[in-house]
Amino acid sequence: MFEAFKKSRGILGMNARNLDYIRPYNRKKGKRISDDKILCKRVLKKNGLPTSRLIAKISTIEQLEHFDWSTLPSSFALKPNRGFGGEGIVVVYGKKKNRENTWVKANGSPVTLSDIQAHIRNILDGSFSLSNTPDIAFFEERLTLLKLFKPYAYKGIPDIRVIVFNSIPVMAMLRLPTKESGGKANLQQGAIGLGIDLASGTTTTAVLGKGKIVEYAPGTRLALSGIKIPYWKDILTMAVKAQQVSGLGFLGADIAIDRELGPAFLELNARPGLSIQLANLDGLKNRLERVKGLRVKSVLRGVRMGMDLFGGEIQEELEEISGKKVIGTVAKARLIGIDGKSIEVNAKIDTGADSTAIDLGIARELGFDKTVDEYLRASKEWSELSELSKKDRWKMFEHIPHVISTVPVKSSHGVTYRIIVRIQIELDGITIPAKVTLINRSHLEYPVIVGKRNLRKFLIDVNK
Amino acid sequence: MSVHPLIDFFILQGVPLDTIVLLLMLPIVATLVAFFRQIIGIKAFGIYTPSIVTFAFLAFDPKGIKYGIAIFLSIIITGMLSRILLKHFRLLYLPRVAITLTIVALTTLTMLVIGGSFNRTGLASVSIFPLLIMITLVEKFIATQIEKGDKTATILALETLGISLIGYAIVRYHVLIELIIAHPWVVLITLPINVWLGKWTGLRVMEYLRFRKIFDQN
Repeated sequence: MFEAFKKSRGILGMNARNLDYIRPYNRKKGKRISDDKILCKRVLKKNGLPTSRLIAKISTIEQLEHFDWSTLPSSFALKPNRGFGGEGIVVVYGKKKNRENTWVKANGSPVTLSDIQAHIRNILDGSFSLSNTPDIAFFEERLTLLKLFKPYAYKGIPDIRVIVFNSIPVMAMLRLPTKESGGKANLQQGAIGLGIDLASGTTTTAVLGKGKIVEYAPGTRLALSGIKIPYWKDILTMAVKAQQVSGLGFLGADIAIDRELGPAFLELNARPGLSIQLANLDGLKNRLERVKGLRVKSVLRGVRMGMDLFGGEIQEELEEISGKKVIGTVAKARLIGIDGKSIEVNAKIDTGADSTAIDLGIARELGFDKTVDEYLRASKEWSELSELSKKDRWKMFEHIPHVISTVPVKSSHGVTYRIIVRIQIELDGITIPAKVTLINRSHLEYPVIVGKRNLRKFLIDVNK
Repeated sequence: MSVHPLIDFFILQGVPLDTIVLLLMLPIVATLVAFFRQIIGIKAFGIYTPSIVTFAFLAFDPKGIKYGIAIFLSIIITGMLSRILLKHFRLLYLPRVAITLTIVALTTLTMLVIGGSFNRTGLASVSIFPLLIMITLVEKFIATQIEKGDKTATILALETLGISLIGYAIVRYHVLIELIIAHPWVVLITLPINVWLGKWTGLRVMEYLRFRKIFDQN
């Protein structure tokens, strides 16, 4: 009991959210922007951040009566300006054929002009606004569904909620509309929330509605984990920028991905919900406290910090299962040479190469000074060496200190005849003994390439 | 029963004892509602509705609490039915509430009449103000229905009923009544309690249950 109580302290509750985060960090100015969708759109647009286009707004009954309905495109979203929780939104997908002024909703049911007018009257009356104050209705361009999400989303458009605090993205989830939620990406109404690994933008665990943990999309065998969200870094970058321009210190940014536009803001939220913790099966308070007071010099730096601090779960899991380490195509490697002389370099991880090669300069720093000198003296063009027998060639090089063998290596530049020495390579905490060839790589971007032979203990993630 | 001189003085000025006790109880009921929200996580319809329903229940006394509950439930059910009924008409908010209030008022009147004909005089003799208070509750209910849906509205209504009943039990508790009459200043203790509640940032009991999965799996 006490143990569970202690663990629960990492979870952000409503009291702490309101008192410790919203009150001190979301001041009036920011809330004004987040609670007024039209103003929010304007602020985002002014700062070069994408949102869906505003088509028209209706602020009074007179405007409603004089509105020219023919100016509306065949598909649009009608929203209350101060709505919350996704209430009061009507999305139409097209005009109904053969009938004037009738549109079709996501579920195929028709919407007549009088339906829309009645809905707008309700919006103007404040039926959907916070504390029922009179509101403004507006039309905006409908975002189109990305192909990738098609099998997962019922009718509506999935969106991505990113919580940003102190210019660092701390937690994110992908929300999928379901039949139960009526095509709305709102967890309170029964949508699915998928936790996201911040480093890779890949979905992890999922929650349905207010608290049911699920693995598959409803009614299917489609796994909800492992969906790779496109434009991931852009999305995080946008969210951090939005925090800076809105002045909301504790922000829940809602971003959808449009087929043409790419990621675009739906809205900014000054009171982000707490369910995101269930989707990620992790506490938000822990994460918020970790980034509190960190100095973040730039937007990209903040994004990087978020990815580093709150990502990598998938990788850890993979490493646990396979017993191998996951590394990227470029990795920090420590080379250890003679008498423990070592050097840290950026190594290119190259599954196209058999063996590992290091630059002559690096070899010198590892204590192979003499070896390199003698090799350069003895070395000849391959065209000359290829005439000789293997034994004769070895005789030319065997006197060089530390050389254990020689090998002709074919590369895109032709064939070079190289000597091999023994060193140790430390990659991601694992030390492997390696026989490496020496070659002049000073003109290349990476002084070291690690080949297949030394990569048996690793999995390579090209996204990293 | 010992009576604090201050209370004596109030009575001497012509303020009825009942009124004094009820007014002094109000801070306690309000604190109870705040406690349920901040610590337990039971929301109800704000602070006004559960407090006022508590006192409405009190007015059904001494033997009428069951009628109070019956009327409360009938109001919620009628409110729900009229929403289904009025859905097709697509009415604006206030006219819709007005119609619902009409239906609820007539239903309540019918209940009183039926109660009377079965010699349930406890029901018919209830004074009008607690009834009116309960009937106007329906607006809160409809507003919540529109904003958050039927399910949430029903849950909040039942939570309101629960808190009001607990409040009712506390306000009726004779030890507490005697304590307040003897030491009216104890009411002021609610102030520091509320300051504490207002600064409490821990998890609510309901949140603790809701998020249990997160720390269970870790």
